[in-house]
Amino acid sequence: MKKKGLTILCFVLAVAWLSGCASTETSKKVPYRMTPQGMVIWEDEFEFMPPPPDWKLLRVEAGENDVNFGFMRSDPGPFPSVTTFAYDEDPFGCTAASFEGREREFFKRFLFNAILQFQILERKKVQVLGGEGLAVIVEGKDPVKKEKVRAKVVFGKRGDRIVGFYITQWRPMEGSYDLSAFEIFDKFVASFKFLKKSFYETL
Amino acid sequence: MEGHQRNLYLYDRFNARVLGVSRDDVLTLKYWGNSLGVTFPLLSNITAFVGAYFDIQPEGKPIFGRRTVIIDKKGIIRYVRDGSPDFRDILLFLKKLNQEGGKP
Repeated sequence: MKKKGLTILCFVLAVAWLSGCASTETSKKVPYRMTPQGMVIWEDEFEFMPPPPDWKLLRVEAGENDVNFGFMRSDPGPFPSVTTFAYDEDPFGCTAASFEGREREFFKRFLFNAILQFQILERKKVQVLGGEGLAVIVEGKDPVKKEKVRAKVVFGKRGDRIVGFYITQWRPMEGSYDLSAFEIFDKFVASFKFLKKSFYETL
Repeated sequence: MEGHQRNLYLYDRFNARVLGVSRDDVLTLKYWGNSLGVTFPLLSNITAFVGAYFDIQPEGKPIFGRRTVIIDKKGIIRYVRDGSPDFRDILLFLKKLNQEGGKP
């Protein structure tokens, strides 16, 4: 049996913690370039079809469970009419090897702070990232704030690890969803390719 | 904590193991760890002496600050970072330390 030589101590702030704060990118140095075919090459690691220009790039600070980047669009209508989608290298959850198990872990924490009553609208196996994946569509409602959200989460594999994509579309309770945003998200996911091995695969 | 759990197989590869330390009580940590699926030890230190030792006990507050510490096999602190763990940085550091120190 191997003797372990190193110890990592992690001090926990409290039972609940906050993830990084989202901010729009203002740096002059951009981490992406465009191909003549209109695809985005992100940090020489990912290739994908970008959404139309009315979607703003969303960057999130590096840290535990943070997504690297995503896109956001303010929708017509009263608050909170907004749609956001992102690629997530480390979606919530940590123990399940199966997509179904990871889905259960993921939804324990997805939009946790919003305290929503979720209902699964659809769950199906899909082809994503060159292999099998799982797509789940949910709707969450907050009867107190009178807000609702429709979300789609797609789980796929990068090497041995599960990665994810998700889109959330918030609306006032009486508002209607714009499903064309979900089609844009689906195109983004379908076009997404890894251009090199992940950090974890190269260790 | 989930991030550490996801990386356990990599920590094992680099002969490292992870411990969480908190001022929460044992029952709270047990519930929390189970709810997340964390399998590595979470240590309860309600009297806060560990936090004082590592200088992460804010005065007058019943919590620890957030800090990652890596201790080598000789007991020497080799890495200290505050805030959310930078897992890539941690893994690269462990890899280097493991190569440097050889198999324990």
